[in-house]
Amino acid sequence: MAEIQLSPARAEAAASRLPPLIVQAERIAATVMQGVHGRRRSGHGDAFWQFRAYSPGDSASSVDWRQSAKADRLFVRETEWEAAQTVLLWRDPSPSMRWRSSPELEEKSQRADLLLLALASLLLRGGERVRLVPGDIRAFMGRAALPALAAALMRPVPEGSPTLDPSMPRHARIVMFGDFLQPVPEIQAILSDFAARPLRGQMLQILDPAEESLPYSGRIRFDGLEGEAPLLVPRVETIRALYTERLAAHRDAISTMARAAGWGFSTHRTDQPPHLALLALWQALAPA
Amino acid sequence: MITFAAPWLLLALPALPLLWWILRVTPPQPRRMDFPAAMLLRDLPIAEETPARTPWWVLLMRVLAAALLILGLARPVAGPGGAASGAGTLLLVLDDGWASGPDWPLRVAIAQAELDRAGREGRPAALLTTTPGEGGAPPRVIGPMPAEDLAPRLAALRPRSWPPDRAAALAALDSWGRTERFSTLYLSDALAHQDGDAAQAFMARLAAGGPLTLARAEERPVRLLSPPRIEGDRLMLTLRQSPVSTPGEAQVIARSQDGRALARASFTLGAGATEAEAVLELPTEIRNRVYRLDLAEETGPGAVVLLDERFRRRPVGLLPGAEEAAADAPLIGDLFYLERALAPFTELRRGEVERLLARPLSVLILADRPVPQGPELTALNRFVEQGGTLIRFAGARLAEHPDSLLPVQLRAERQLGGSLSWEQPQHLAPFAEGSPFAGLAVPAEISVERQVLAEPSPRLAERVWARLADGTPLVTAETRGAGRIVLFHVTATAEWSDLPLSGLFVQMLRRLVSLSAGVSGQEGEGTLAPLEALDGFGRLVPPPHGAQPLPPTGAATPSARTPPGWYGVAGGEGYRRALNLGDSLPAPTLHAQPPIGTAFRGIAGIPPERDLGPWLMAAALLILALDLLASLRLRGLLTLARTAGIVLILSAGPALAQQNDGLQALVTRLGYVSTGDSATDETTRQGLAGLSDFVNRRTAAALGDPVGVTPGRDDLSLFPLLYFTVRPDAPALDPAAISALNGFMRNGGIILFDTRDEGSGEGFAPGARAALRRVTQGLAIPPLMPVPEEHVLRRAFYLLAELPGRFAGGTVWVSREQDRANDSVSPVVIGGHDWAGAWATDARGQNIHAAVPGGARQRILAYRFGANLVMYALTGNYKGDQVHVPAILERLGN
Repeated sequence: MAEIQLSPARAEAAASRLPPLIVQAERIAATVMQGVHGRRRSGHGDAFWQFRAYSPGDSASSVDWRQSAKADRLFVRETEWEAAQTVLLWRDPSPSMRWRSSPELEEKSQRADLLLLALASLLLRGGERVRLVPGDIRAFMGRAALPALAAALMRPVPEGSPTLDPSMPRHARIVMFGDFLQPVPEIQAILSDFAARPLRGQMLQILDPAEESLPYSGRIRFDGLEGEAPLLVPRVETIRALYTERLAAHRDAISTMARAAGWGFSTHRTDQPPHLALLALWQALAPA
Repeated sequence: MITFAAPWLLLALPALPLLWWILRVTPPQPRRMDFPAAMLLRDLPIAEETPARTPWWVLLMRVLAAALLILGLARPVAGPGGAASGAGTLLLVLDDGWASGPDWPLRVAIAQAELDRAGREGRPAALLTTTPGEGGAPPRVIGPMPAEDLAPRLAALRPRSWPPDRAAALAALDSWGRTERFSTLYLSDALAHQDGDAAQAFMARLAAGGPLTLARAEERPVRLLSPPRIEGDRLMLTLRQSPVSTPGEAQVIARSQDGRALARASFTLGAGATEAEAVLELPTEIRNRVYRLDLAEETGPGAVVLLDERFRRRPVGLLPGAEEAAADAPLIGDLFYLERALAPFTELRRGEVERLLARPLSVLILADRPVPQGPELTALNRFVEQGGTLIRFAGARLAEHPDSLLPVQLRAERQLGGSLSWEQPQHLAPFAEGSPFAGLAVPAEISVERQVLAEPSPRLAERVWARLADGTPLVTAETRGAGRIVLFHVTATAEWSDLPLSGLFVQMLRRLVSLSAGVSGQEGEGTLAPLEALDGFGRLVPPPHGAQPLPPTGAATPSARTPPGWYGVAGGEGYRRALNLGDSLPAPTLHAQPPIGTAFRGIAGIPPERDLGPWLMAAALLILALDLLASLRLRGLLTLARTAGIVLILSAGPALAQQNDGLQALVTRLGYVSTGDSATDETTRQGLAGLSDFVNRRTAAALGDPVGVTPGRDDLSLFPLLYFTVRPDAPALDPAAISALNGFMRNGGIILFDTRDEGSGEGFAPGARAALRRVTQGLAIPPLMPVPEEHVLRRAFYLLAELPGRFAGGTVWVSREQDRANDSVSPVVIGGHDWAGAWATDARGQNIHAAVPGGARQRILAYRFGANLVMYALTGNYKGDQVHVPAILERLGN
């Protein structure tokens, strides 16, 4: 297991990446915002929702006098209901995420960070509380919390399963970003642990295009990124179809598990635009 | 034939098949790839079809590289010298006299090859040079010692500029005292020199010691240039050489003190000829500047003749009749006409009699100056007795006080054509056959109005050199001692006759001066110290240690103690005497045949042996580098693009740098058309660099480094001005270049064509004008005219009356101002002043090429023309419009 060193130089390098990352995340979030709006229910909140006729029992202070002056009836101003919910966000910190097949592409971990921040931006705008797991107990609220969230995201997190965090609230939602290339039983264990809390959530599998298509040929020694033993394949082209099948089976297994637990599972490739994945996530998170 | 210096290493060659087998069973390294989804790849059913094998061509490359390495380490040697075979000590004998200079490097190379061979065979070697060392140190055998230790001694040898002494060499051989046999390689100059039979005795002694190989240049004659004889205006040159079977020719170049070629003459030598003559005809003023004669394409002191004052200087002293100040009065001064007639071809001296005679003088001219009894008369008498020429002109004062320094007794003065005379002014009679003036044309318009008459005497007739039409003597002469007195019976002014006004006067004086004895050996005490000596390659160097002074008179023979070169009194004006090999050495003749049993080899055309080892190693390394690239490629670490990049960088690095148009476009710079001759291109580049520097310092223009371009291949649109040096051998342009240059001119570019042979440089590049015609065949050259006085080119930055470069005086052509398309800016400037040569500076900013005729002013004007040209190219006729500024201002004011 590769150590992630906490060093000043590394923190600085990460911090210098922060503003562009936030800007990018905000931009992606804005494109998604255009098509999606709030909770569409009247409730406590800042945003105007609707006017409705005064009915006995409404307090006088809730009457919108300006609107009432335009007509014969009294109107009450209702604001949109904003039920703050805690959304837990997790992204896979393992070394296998820090990989890309060609220099033109982003690393998987970069894409995961971007999507996480963009989703967080959307959630914070919607008034939700956002928490990073594992590690940080603090929940972020309000749109201004995004840079702090990003800074917290850049801090190295302890390796390991997200289930180890005992401070996770119940009935919260969780969104997991990762490549989910572990053996299925490991994923099963995590999922069932979460489901027992109970937590519901979304899994987004982020893969590099090369991991889907295996575009190599010839005699190649494959080295895993997480300390797996190297594997010598004499002619890669002969096993490409087998590999694709196996990847599909792996995905199916995870998907089936997720559905059974009432979770959502979707996939994303780093050569696709991030908006699509974000929109799908956002809609999946929205209450019915 | 190839031999190996370390043959035991070849034993490694049979191991190559083993290497092949090992390489074959070792599969190549697989490509390595990080892959996160390696887990999914695990346990896939992998069908191993064929075991991975190194491709056969990679195997072949590696085995080949190994073979080349083994061969290279075994140090193969191609063409080893097999001449002085034999065992025992190798004795190298070199004739390092003056005749060995021309092919000295070959001689040393052959000796070195032999030495290398002896070194490989582990034989000791010894060295004997037959020529006495500096200061006359006798020859001595060096060694025997290991061949490697002798090599630096051999490399340090230089040919001497005096003859070898084989008798002394024989003595050195005897004192060496070897009893066991040795083998000898004798690099002989094949000449007998003055030592008679010594060469034969020497070779016999060598042959007695062991096998003897004689190396000599058989087809190359040894040439000896003799000092010229002066016959009137001509220098008669004699070349002597050792006989060869093929006819040949030689060229002799007359050079001035600063090394410029003034003239050349050709010798033609038939087969077997040993002597040839050539004539060098030069105007006297040029001949006086000849400093040395060189055989072209021949080095060595035998090919050089230094010309001292005997060949050059005819100093002429002038003494006026009255006081010095009045003598120069225009048109009436005593010396006015004389000075103008003599100055172009002689060295004139003025001053008092004592001062004039204190230095050697060939001619002394007294203009209407009687010489009274006294020390002056004594001094002049001595001057004439010792060989001086005294020329006197008559006049009123001389007619009044005749003295003894006259060829004839003077009788009276007569006036012709005056108001009290019946007689008409007399014309000159044609010169008689025996007169020194014979052959000079007599113009009819010369008339003599007054003259002094000679007392008739029996010897008068033979003393007369020129007469008037009525037979009275005009010029008389008498020989006294070694010298001569010449009297003109008229004045040196136009007072008595028209003679000083005519061209005949100049010609007569010139004849008289060339008749006079040159300034030869300084009389009197003191010896002549060596000033400069010719070395074995015919170069002037500081005299060697041990060089002795020459006696002031008498013949001297070039030897180790008195090497050829300059002798004299140190200091600028001091007297110098040249000692040449050709003065006293006999004609080169071949020495006697060597003893029976001698092996021969030539000196020319023998390929020296070459060590092939380094080349084989280099080839092996190259193959290994290719192998590295190939295996990187096989392992996927090298993409095709990277390979192509590396190959491009390796193969076409310099060419790529030239193609970098992006950088060139950032700075304005001058361009020149590459001629294909690197020396010419380098001069042009230096010239444009010097001009760019000048323009950057003096004007607001900022020019970058100049760039050479090839029209049709490079983009010309980046250059405001192209410098086109037209070499005599320039080929016609190809269609692509023609269309590129036409487009360049059409779009406002200016091309400066330079033939480098106009004006004072005429003849420096014969054929360049024909080449210009050839080069401009397809170009759209507009109708031309000489640059007019008011042309913008003369006013763009500096006001210029002339447009000189390294040469001056030629015509510079521009287009007629009729093409309105480019605002009448001429697209071409055509001339032959070698401007780039004038502008060229070296790295320290010094000008490289001398200007002709020379002077700082010409250099400055050349740079100014360059600045004007750049301004013209950059601003067009903008500066021409400035002349309208007053009119425009006036109109604005109204």
